[in-house]
Amino acid sequence: MTDTPSQDEIVRLARQAGLDLPPAYLQELVEAYGHVRTMIGRIPTERPHGDEPAHTFVPQKFLPAKE
Amino acid sequence: MSNPAYLTIAEASKLIAARKLSPVELTEACLGRIASLDHLLDSFVTLTAERARTEAKAAEAAVMAGQPLGRLHGIPYCLKDIFDTAGIRTTAMSKLLADNVPARDAWCQEKMVAAGGVLLGKNATWEFAHGGPSWDVLFPPARNPWNRDHSPAGSSSGSAAAVAAGFSPATLGSDTGGSIRGPAAACGIAGLKPTYGLVSRRGVIPNCFTHDHAGPLAWTTEDVAILMQVIAGHDPEDPGSADVPIPDYLAALTGDVKGLVIGVPVAWLETESPLTPATKAAFDAALDVFRGLGATVRPVTLPLLQQFDDAKKTIAVAELFTIHGKDLRTRPELFGASLRYRIIAGGLVRAEEYIQAQRLRTDLARAMQKVMASIDLLMLPTSEPAGKLEPVPPASLFTKLSFMTPFNVGGNPALSVCSGFNQAGLPFSLQIVGRLFDDATVLRAGDAYEKATPWRDRRPSL
Repeated sequence: MTDTPSQDEIVRLARQAGLDLPPAYLQELVEAYGHVRTMIGRIPTERPHGDEPAHTFVPQKFLPAKE
Repeated sequence: MSNPAYLTIAEASKLIAARKLSPVELTEACLGRIASLDHLLDSFVTLTAERARTEAKAAEAAVMAGQPLGRLHGIPYCLKDIFDTAGIRTTAMSKLLADNVPARDAWCQEKMVAAGGVLLGKNATWEFAHGGPSWDVLFPPARNPWNRDHSPAGSSSGSAAAVAAGFSPATLGSDTGGSIRGPAAACGIAGLKPTYGLVSRRGVIPNCFTHDHAGPLAWTTEDVAILMQVIAGHDPEDPGSADVPIPDYLAALTGDVKGLVIGVPVAWLETESPLTPATKAAFDAALDVFRGLGATVRPVTLPLLQQFDDAKKTIAVAELFTIHGKDLRTRPELFGASLRYRIIAGGLVRAEEYIQAQRLRTDLARAMQKVMASIDLLMLPTSEPAGKLEPVPPASLFTKLSFMTPFNVGGNPALSVCSGFNQAGLPFSLQIVGRLFDDATVLRAGDAYEKATPWRDRRPSL
């Protein structure tokens, strides 16, 4: 993770996410994103290539329901 | 206690089966209390009184016809207002769903109807079971029946308040980071977050798919076991549903906990998120009850609480944004400020960050199951006693550590029971956590504890 982005950078990221927010909501986003960045910054990223995420695909879960 | 509305499910069902109590009389007792007292608590957002009367009469007719009856037959219940109810408005407290009337019942509601339950109505929650308490959403927040100036916690707020107040003997809620156990703790009742996948989430408006659980709340653990018997089971329409045998939860309530090994995550409680002295004393006293019943207690070490919080909340904010992104882009003003703040930054979480959080969840779940394999149960307080009902900074979701979230991350069954009262008369809580799919042992311990202590004898007065 890089350093916390500037407000201009957050505006750009928000627009990229389809969020064209009025100023009041933009301030909410800037503050909330600061907290989210802090959380993400604590998550370890140096891992073996094969480390699986917890949410894996189990194809049998999507078989049609039996009548 | 002469008002039938205060009967537990176990008590009422025996009386109904013996034709000593009519489901109609029981339902009218609940509806009467709701009509005269719920303006103090705002625990219901929709009442289904006429439907309840119709269902109660049908239940009474079945009794008189000598038909075989289950334990829930003729028992009133309510649902958190995120469970789909066919033909009945289901709002999640949100202005966005003010006119949402589902065409089909949720899995749990189908099971409750089939078991002969009597639907009283829908309970207040936090907006989409995540943002709150809020005063800028569709309905006001519920209040705590032990002290109306205090919060019933969230997000199954109205559900827990309604049971504690004697409005309904049963309710169902959902739990993504503690939303069954927190309200159960604040309101001094029993609430179970079952093992992930044991109860279908089909028809429950999602909070965060990978951590959502549906489960029961009631006055006693025995009643929670009765409700689990009704709602547990495999549902092919829920991709997270587990196809496992469902044990007899009531038969598991033997009262015997002799020989059980109880682990306590001491570092969480003493170092990482220290308990207040009063809560620590209540917890120590609860452990002494289990020692007196023949269990042994020993410390265990789990990963940091902070890691569980970081993994869960990073995953959650991304999933929540995925669910609500379209509305956040087009009509953000319809969200309550608390929910909007808590989910809007999810749009800026990168896929790599989401998947790294899922990888951390793998580590944490493995570590949790390794510790659980060395003990029978884990115990800790569910939370501190209820705080004041007042606006809280929405950022607290990101900054406040929770004793409940780790078991959403691990998927383990976790029950909250009342473990006494503080000097202000607010309930203390004990959280009992089990191995995956060993919900029966969790219920056995909760039931044994309740029967060994006097806490079920006290009700809030309104």
